[in-house]
Amino acid sequence: MEAGSLTSRATVRGGRSIHERSPRSRAIDPLLKWFLSGLAALILVLIAFFFIRLFIEAKPAFDKFGYIGFVFDNSWVPSQQLYGALPLVVGTIITSAIALLLGVPVAIATALYITELAPNRVKAPLTVTVELLAAVPSVVYGLWGIAVLAPKLQPAEQWFSDTFSFLPLVGGQVSIPNYFIAGLILAIMIIPIVSAISREVMSTVPGDHKEAALALGATRWEMIKIAVLPYSRAGISGAAMLGLGRAIGETIAVTIVIGNAADIGSTIFSQGYTLAAVIANEFGEAASDPIHRAALIAAGLVLFVLTLIVNAIARYYVNRASRPASVPKGMAG
Amino acid sequence: MSAVAQRSLRPVGPRRRRSDAIARGVVLAFTIVAIVPLVAILYWLVKEGLGAWSKSFFTTDPTGRFLGDPGGIRSAILGTIEMVALASIIAVPAGVGVALYLVEYGKLSRFANTVRYFVDVMTGVPSVVFGLFVYIVLVVTKVAGTFAAWKGAVALALLMLPVVIRSAEVVLNLVPNSLREAALALGAPRWKVIFRIVLPTALPGIVTGSLLAVARAAGETAPLLFTAAFVLGSSADLSQRMNSLPLQIFNDVGQAQDRLVQRAWGAALTLVVLVLLLTLIARLIQRRSKLSP
Amino acid sequence: MRYKNLLALSCCAVLALGAAACGSDDSSPSSGGSSSSSTGGGAAKAGGTINGAGATFPAPVYQEWAARFKEEQGTTVNYQPIGSGGGIAQFSAGTVDFGATDSAMKPDEIATAEKKGSDPVHVPTVLGAVTVSYNVDGIDQGLKLDGETVADIFLGKIKKWNDPKIASQNSGAQLPATSITVCHRSDESGTTANFTSFLTDYSSAWKSGPGTDKSVKWPTGTGAKGNDGVAGCVKQTKGSVGYVEQAYALQNKFTTAAIKNKSGQYIEPSLQATSAAAQGVTPPEDLRFSTINSPNPQAYPISAVTFLLVWADACKAGENATQAKLVKNWLNYGLGAGQQVAPQLQYAPLPDNIKTKAQAKVDGLQCNGAAINGAS
Repeated sequence: MEAGSLTSRATVRGGRSIHERSPRSRAIDPLLKWFLSGLAALILVLIAFFFIRLFIEAKPAFDKFGYIGFVFDNSWVPSQQLYGALPLVVGTIITSAIALLLGVPVAIATALYITELAPNRVKAPLTVTVELLAAVPSVVYGLWGIAVLAPKLQPAEQWFSDTFSFLPLVGGQVSIPNYFIAGLILAIMIIPIVSAISREVMSTVPGDHKEAALALGATRWEMIKIAVLPYSRAGISGAAMLGLGRAIGETIAVTIVIGNAADIGSTIFSQGYTLAAVIANEFGEAASDPIHRAALIAAGLVLFVLTLIVNAIARYYVNRASRPASVPKGMAG
Repeated sequence: MSAVAQRSLRPVGPRRRRSDAIARGVVLAFTIVAIVPLVAILYWLVKEGLGAWSKSFFTTDPTGRFLGDPGGIRSAILGTIEMVALASIIAVPAGVGVALYLVEYGKLSRFANTVRYFVDVMTGVPSVVFGLFVYIVLVVTKVAGTFAAWKGAVALALLMLPVVIRSAEVVLNLVPNSLREAALALGAPRWKVIFRIVLPTALPGIVTGSLLAVARAAGETAPLLFTAAFVLGSSADLSQRMNSLPLQIFNDVGQAQDRLVQRAWGAALTLVVLVLLLTLIARLIQRRSKLSP
Repeated sequence: MRYKNLLALSCCAVLALGAAACGSDDSSPSSGGSSSSSTGGGAAKAGGTINGAGATFPAPVYQEWAARFKEEQGTTVNYQPIGSGGGIAQFSAGTVDFGATDSAMKPDEIATAEKKGSDPVHVPTVLGAVTVSYNVDGIDQGLKLDGETVADIFLGKIKKWNDPKIASQNSGAQLPATSITVCHRSDESGTTANFTSFLTDYSSAWKSGPGTDKSVKWPTGTGAKGNDGVAGCVKQTKGSVGYVEQAYALQNKFTTAAIKNKSGQYIEPSLQATSAAAQGVTPPEDLRFSTINSPNPQAYPISAVTFLLVWADACKAGENATQAKLVKNWLNYGLGAGQQVAPQLQYAPLPDNIKTKAQAKVDGLQCNGAAINGAS
């Protein structure tokens, strides 16, 4: 975008026309462009290298156990060279499911409250407070979880386990570190991200939809049901998926409170293991055992692929939400 | 007209008023439930951690001794500062550079969109996988020694990179195009426009994004487990193992000795104060800047 | 612009803080293998840093040695208690200068290590007692337990503290009806190997079930990392029982059981009983031996010897000469002055015959074919 003929007679310091630039000046522009493009290309190269390298290192484990065998065999016993990751996968799924069940409703409620129901003075401080939950490092969550939450909740968990032992996955002795506590801590950790995105999505609901509902005589809650929630459904699903991605990948907080038992626990109050936790715990022992190390890296790869899929789904939903809205169902005339 | 809309046209009866009140109560209750853990954590941090704080807590290294003085957390604090500083030196310029490319040159081209997509992918990668990657590429291959603080910094930088790129891109996009066009119209070369006009205008936002990335990196444990490992003493030597606050806490968490658990709380309080300070400064800078997203 | 000043100020403050703290750091000279050697008389300190990793079983005494070794010779010993399995792995991978394990390396582990270019050498250092510690309201003194009972507890067959099998060995004790929670190791552990070795000797159900190994499939219980983790588990859980080294039990004031040994005596874990387990033992040439289930009538049956792992020729295995020398100094300290320190933490020093053989091994350590000189 060179300066046009309008300024053809203008000069700058030294009497040079501004059309002329010094050769040095002229050379820097393309240099900068190539440098920055190279930097951006480096990101692509880095990710590709990342994936390829992980795969190469994990391959020995996949070769020995097969792709299906590695993921679905139920026996993770390093001392006998057995690396079937099913207990880890199941543990990851259980803790993430608990995290979603407990965390997403709370996060949506928070987002709703902040955008629709809170008095104006409270909105900003409340937003900041929820975001502060994201600032707490995960190791601190783990410390608090194992030192405070788990012991304090154990009597309640035992009562629940005894009273509702007819339910599947409930009953028996409650262990202090268990799936449930891990899921609970994860739920707390995903609240900020799910809430933030839900809030963003809800704040884009067109004002006229809401006002139309209110004008028709809807109560505040009915307005939310008619105008806000249906409109935000895609975005909220995306937010929940992002929270799921976060929960799947969380390592340290989980490894502190889950008990690190490489078995599929029989109840939600048993100990378990997750893909991320096994990597953190066992890499030291795998230093000289190539198969063990390959198995841990394979677990990391499975984790990576899981988060990729979940995040891709999340992105799809969030992008759908930011497209122009269709008329919500309740308003059809 | 739909059933709900038809219902709405009638005057608000007691039943609708009641369900409205109940629903609003539940939403408020859930919101409070979201706040309770934060309050509880802060409360316990102060309650247990403040007691561990003392002059010797901050000025002595952990001794690792079983009997006798367990020492403080000086090496952990120094280690975190050193490694996070190195990580920022790597990640911030690189991240801002990529963001500059995306905003100034790439814009909406296929290549730029691909880069954006992969940066998004990077934000979703669990931190333990980054640590594992650096472990495979740098530690196992014994590039300049085995465990080293600079390798930990590399892992942290990988973590920070997508965050910096994303936030910098947002801020750079907010710089009004009119500023750029005015400068270009006056004959300024592109690079001068970037360095003299765009960057200074976007600086507060970039600093905010970077500080938030730094705050996140300071709290990460998993990447450091496989790269910088754990060591008791302080040192400025980045080619050797180095302690860090998250690792120190992680080590002290499962101990049976009460004073070690208390040291974990003290270290946790220190870390949270550090992270909150960084977040606070970031937000303050954001508030004062002229550009807000 | 004000934020720029704020930013500059905070950066300076952080740097100043860091500089001040670093400046006042008179300990731990930066490492990298540079040191001034001390040849006889030892006026100048050796300095430097060596890294080790391994068993949590002897960690208390190794860390005490490290502190005193540093005072004496200026060398920093970074010992990372990550479990025997981790110690063997890190040692074989060459990421540490020495390893530590309570369970001698298996033949396949030795084969893996030999790929590094040199043979691993086991240097026994001290003996410790694996206590059966428990935390039960209402039981304040040591219960008498035999091997089969302990095995049944850890198999989950004995579920309550007032079980007849326990009561029959402890007539007169008021046993509560509390449920038993087992605490065991979740990482690869030499302590586990020694404990399960003892259980295998007395329980056929254990032998055919979990068996003897550094890591077994535990039929019941909560897993924790390290001796310290199991100690934490026992401390935190009412009615729990776990196996921890005696130093950990003493530190946390656990009640420990008196275990029936091979001669039929119920022996409490103690310094004398642990030492008795090593009396009369003639170790093999490579010093890979075990003191579990000793025939000595005074011996505590779950006494374990622990080893430091070093390379026969460190330089061929990738170490540099200075590090090799520092490691040899460390071993000499352990077999020398360290043996007087061990009893203070209730670890038994080596009996003379074993110590002589261990010292001979250390004297024979080489670097590229030549003996390592200048070690004090």
